[in-house]
Amino acid sequence: MPRIPLGDWVNDAVEWLRTHISWLFDFFKAVFTGTYDGIDAVLQAPQPLLLAGIFAVLAFWLRGTLAGVLTFVGFAFIDSMELWEDAMVTLSLLLVATIIALVISVPVGIWAARSDRVSSLVRPVLDFMQTLPAMVYLIPALLFFGTGAPAGIVATLVFALAPGVRMTELGIRQVDKELVEAAEAFGTTPRNTLLRVQLPLALPTVMAGVNQVIMLGLSMAAIAGMVGTGGLGGSVNQAIGQLDVGLGAESGIAIVILAIYLDRMTSALGTQVSPLGRRAAARARAAGGLKIWSYRPRPQVAVVGVVILALVAGGMGVFGGSGDSASVAGGKNVGEGKKVTLGYVPWDEGVASTFLWKELLEERGYEVEAKQFDAGPLYTALAQGDIDIVTNSWLPTTHAQYWKKYGAKLDDLGSWYDETTLELTVPSYMKDVDSLADLKGRADEFGGKITGIEAGAGEMALLKSKVLKAYGLDKEYQVVDSSTPAMLTELKRAYGRKKPIVVTLWSPHWAYNDFDLKKLKDPKGAWGSGDGVHTLSRKGLADDDPTLTRWMKDFELDEKQLTSLEAEINKVGKGKQQDAVRTWLKKNPGLVDKLAPAASGSGAKPAEAGQPLDVAWFPWDEDVAVTYLWKNVLEKRGYRLNLKQMDVGPVYTGLASGDIDLNFDAWLPHAQSNYWEKSKENLADLGSWYEPTSLEVAVPSYVKDVRSMADLKGKADLFDGKIIGIEPGTGEMNLLKNKVLPGYGLDEEYEVVDGSTPAMLTELKRAYAKKEPVAVVLWSPHWAYSDYELTKLADPEKYWGENNKIHTIAHKDFPDEYPQLTEWIRNFHLSEDELGGLESEIKDRGQGHEEEAVAAWLKENPGVADRMTAA
Amino acid sequence: MSARLEAEHLYKVFGRKPDQAVERLRQGTEREELRADGTTAAVIDASFTVEPGEIFVVMGLSGSGKSTLLRMLNGLLEPTDGHVRFGGQDLTELGARGLRDVRSKKISMVFQHFALFPHRSVRDNAAYGLEVQGVPRAERERRADEALALCGLAGWEKSWPDELSGGMQQRVGLARALATDADLLLMDESFSALDPLIRRDMQDQLLELQKTLKKTIVFITHDLNEAMRLGDRIAVMRDGRIVQIGTAQDILLRPANDYVASFTQDVDRSRVLTAGAVMETEVRGDEADCGCETATPETSFTELCAISARVPHPVAVLRDGRLVGVVPRQRLVGFLGDEPADPGTCDSPRDKGGEKVMARA
Repeated sequence: MPRIPLGDWVNDAVEWLRTHISWLFDFFKAVFTGTYDGIDAVLQAPQPLLLAGIFAVLAFWLRGTLAGVLTFVGFAFIDSMELWEDAMVTLSLLLVATIIALVISVPVGIWAARSDRVSSLVRPVLDFMQTLPAMVYLIPALLFFGTGAPAGIVATLVFALAPGVRMTELGIRQVDKELVEAAEAFGTTPRNTLLRVQLPLALPTVMAGVNQVIMLGLSMAAIAGMVGTGGLGGSVNQAIGQLDVGLGAESGIAIVILAIYLDRMTSALGTQVSPLGRRAAARARAAGGLKIWSYRPRPQVAVVGVVILALVAGGMGVFGGSGDSASVAGGKNVGEGKKVTLGYVPWDEGVASTFLWKELLEERGYEVEAKQFDAGPLYTALAQGDIDIVTNSWLPTTHAQYWKKYGAKLDDLGSWYDETTLELTVPSYMKDVDSLADLKGRADEFGGKITGIEAGAGEMALLKSKVLKAYGLDKEYQVVDSSTPAMLTELKRAYGRKKPIVVTLWSPHWAYNDFDLKKLKDPKGAWGSGDGVHTLSRKGLADDDPTLTRWMKDFELDEKQLTSLEAEINKVGKGKQQDAVRTWLKKNPGLVDKLAPAASGSGAKPAEAGQPLDVAWFPWDEDVAVTYLWKNVLEKRGYRLNLKQMDVGPVYTGLASGDIDLNFDAWLPHAQSNYWEKSKENLADLGSWYEPTSLEVAVPSYVKDVRSMADLKGKADLFDGKIIGIEPGTGEMNLLKNKVLPGYGLDEEYEVVDGSTPAMLTELKRAYAKKEPVAVVLWSPHWAYSDYELTKLADPEKYWGENNKIHTIAHKDFPDEYPQLTEWIRNFHLSEDELGGLESEIKDRGQGHEEEAVAAWLKENPGVADRMTAA
Repeated sequence: MSARLEAEHLYKVFGRKPDQAVERLRQGTEREELRADGTTAAVIDASFTVEPGEIFVVMGLSGSGKSTLLRMLNGLLEPTDGHVRFGGQDLTELGARGLRDVRSKKISMVFQHFALFPHRSVRDNAAYGLEVQGVPRAERERRADEALALCGLAGWEKSWPDELSGGMQQRVGLARALATDADLLLMDESFSALDPLIRRDMQDQLLELQKTLKKTIVFITHDLNEAMRLGDRIAVMRDGRIVQIGTAQDILLRPANDYVASFTQDVDRSRVLTAGAVMETEVRGDEADCGCETATPETSFTELCAISARVPHPVAVLRDGRLVGVVPRQRLVGFLGDEPADPGTCDSPRDKGGEKVMARA
């Protein structure tokens, strides 16, 4: 059976979508976020009890007195559990998803009802959407939409769309054919038939669909919590992660209250809006008579009630709000309202460090958001740049898999806590089991099982592949894959009954506080040295905010600090972490300034940056690159640069006369020596920033055994007797034909194909893609070296001549006028990789987008800007 | 003023390649052969004319194509071939918009299962056609109320369809059709879903209304009694074809084939036949010279029997005071028994001078 690479196709497709139509996703993201923020702002604004009152009035109107009372009680209960904000977040998410689901599903349902073909196409798609496990599309949703509300909305949407479509279709198809025919027989237009007959009559079924959409959406809430949407789903997740049955129950019940409320309200609304429903209700009322608990106010009364409550709520929001946001003192206001998003996995040390920094940064004027994630989504989000900083990355072991995958897109700001360990742990009532070696021969006692955590976790991999083998336990014990909460539950259960158990655990972990446990010693060091808890940031944070990056790099806590902070947080419980941090900071005076020193300001503008610099450049790849690079870097330092494109001769003349200040692309000492010699009294050489430049023949590195020009000898068959050249008549081509090939005795064997630079590059690309041997005429620096793996053929006989270096030259007075800049330029240097990368970035973005390309490249190479302008 | 409805060689074929199927039908291919190919010929070559003010009944068993035929008349189904003309306008040439216009103003329809909109009140149901036409609310409500009153539903305007009995619901259906003042009324088995007594009432009411309204009506039914009661003329359909068109008495007395004849067997002839159809036209001229009761050609069969019972000799039939025929009692009995032949001779001894017949033991 051949392997059908579906996974690869999907990867390619996702990658393609992400690169090519990201604008579309950005648009959707904007729509989702906008709607969500709007609704969330409205729901979060009023006092909880007032909003509960509004909900109660709605229930009173839709279902009667009893429903109104129960609604108020239910929501007040949510508020008393301090889950109000979470509940409103979930509610907003749900409302947005429902609205969007209806906007999509009702028209699709109508369409499917009218066309059997559409119906038969839509049905399998709906099945697919409903049954595909949520996590499978949550991760791509993260890639497209980033973390937070949009991804959650999409997940909910995908899941909840189906009943909307199905019920709409069913409802319309169920409408009596004779009624539709009657409408047509009286000359009703198709549109009016739909609006006046089919839809009104289908409405009860459609509303049942809406009800289902909401219910399914709510059931997705818990899963959406894994991608940082927060809300009740987030609390549920956190509860699961910490094995906090109490919090789990609270959040779960809050979800249930929301669900029941929404279910009853939408079904009542179904009766209210559909004429048939109203008719049935009227008959039931006529039959049953009026009772106090089923009394319902008229719509006008209900509207008045809602409006009054809303006005009160709004008024209180206006007058009562904004009291608690203390302003930040001027000098310490480093953040200036900049937004920073911290992501964390809800492990104790992660919660502690994240909320510590949330507090610290807010004191420094940042606007900070802390989002909770599962480990996988956390790294995805960080690599996407959706969150800025993560303070609990366990490296190099525990999170190794994520680092491997996303490391290239992240910056490691170093570890702030080094005393972590991975271990196997047994309860301390297990006498005689103190080290891993003691496990040997006691498999019976432990049922031959080691209770593990998630199969994909780094610790599990290490345990199975190394640790067990090192102690010869791999035959005896079976490692049970499960999940962290399951492992902890198992531990708790066994501990309660004093049964033998051995589990995979790590330190620091709260289990060591709650239970009396024994870490098994590892005399052979099979677990390796412990992980450090690292701080990671997204790429480019160092450029965007060097101060913040420096703080994070310097961040360090010792065990006493960390445990005391964790203890403080555990004392107050969820929702008040930041209060705990404040209390803790009060007990540790001076720590704020130590961790986040508010310096007197970085990146000050040098005095010399007053007048604009005139920089001349040639339209050659390396000069475009370096000139725009300097423009970007210097403008951040307050300089102003005027760029002027010129030919070689005029540049030297201009520099000598002082019309021009700088040129970064002087090929010396050979290529431009005649110009240099002519005006060198009036010029200053600020040194070379790139060496060596060279001319050469290059072959892809998969062509083995060809490392130098001499190796080409006798291999003409391999290369079809051809060397792909560039424009005939250029210096390099002449040199190749007249000196290099005869020098190595290749002129009989090889033909140099005249062409053009783009044609040569195309040929190279084509051959490279097919892994065919090819030899091309090339020169360094060139971006092709960063895009492809190429071998420059060595030229031991030096037939290509001596190498040039690329110098920066200036008017002779320049060093006196711009001492700072001169120093920077003298120290300036780019490696071949850097220059090649920058050139290829500029090439990819195309002409006219040079500045963007440079900015993007600088983001990917965060150190460069600082290096160029180091003090 | 009502207008004439003409149907001309109408065909309706369901399935693939309907045009080819029509061509094959024209060349004499049987319906069954087409069915084997998966195409269904619902209506084959139907032509008829309905005069203004006439009630034209299309009669046939279910599956005979009568409902399909009716729906081609107002364009709910597009004929595969043939033409429908109403008031000189060829409906088959109209586009969707033109058809809708005709349907909303000139043709209305009454349905078998009433097809009342359950989400509209009785008044709004009756006003539906006017609402589609865009008549202002006040006027359409006035006209709907009038139509409801005409159908005997005054006072029920604010009720809902589910509060009415079947007969009343169909009256609303009728009022809805009448309210638009359409010239042509299409009635699709409109009374079939009602129980027999109510059905009688509705038939009577329809005939009563027709006396004043003089609409052109095409009425579909599978009940020959109903057809004969209502129809000025009747078209009998079988397997998609119209097999006979004629008055009730034509159908009854001169069925076109055995199929029609078998249909008429169960008909209550006494309700259909009149003196004109029953009488002998060979007269001596003096049959009406006595002072006995006489009949006219329109006198119903039942009444004729009653007269015949009171008169000692054959009943004279007079039109405008002139003798046109006589009805001997013998003939009445013959029609009732569907026996057209004259009585034969009998060799029984009871005709020979009243001798007693002795049983031979």
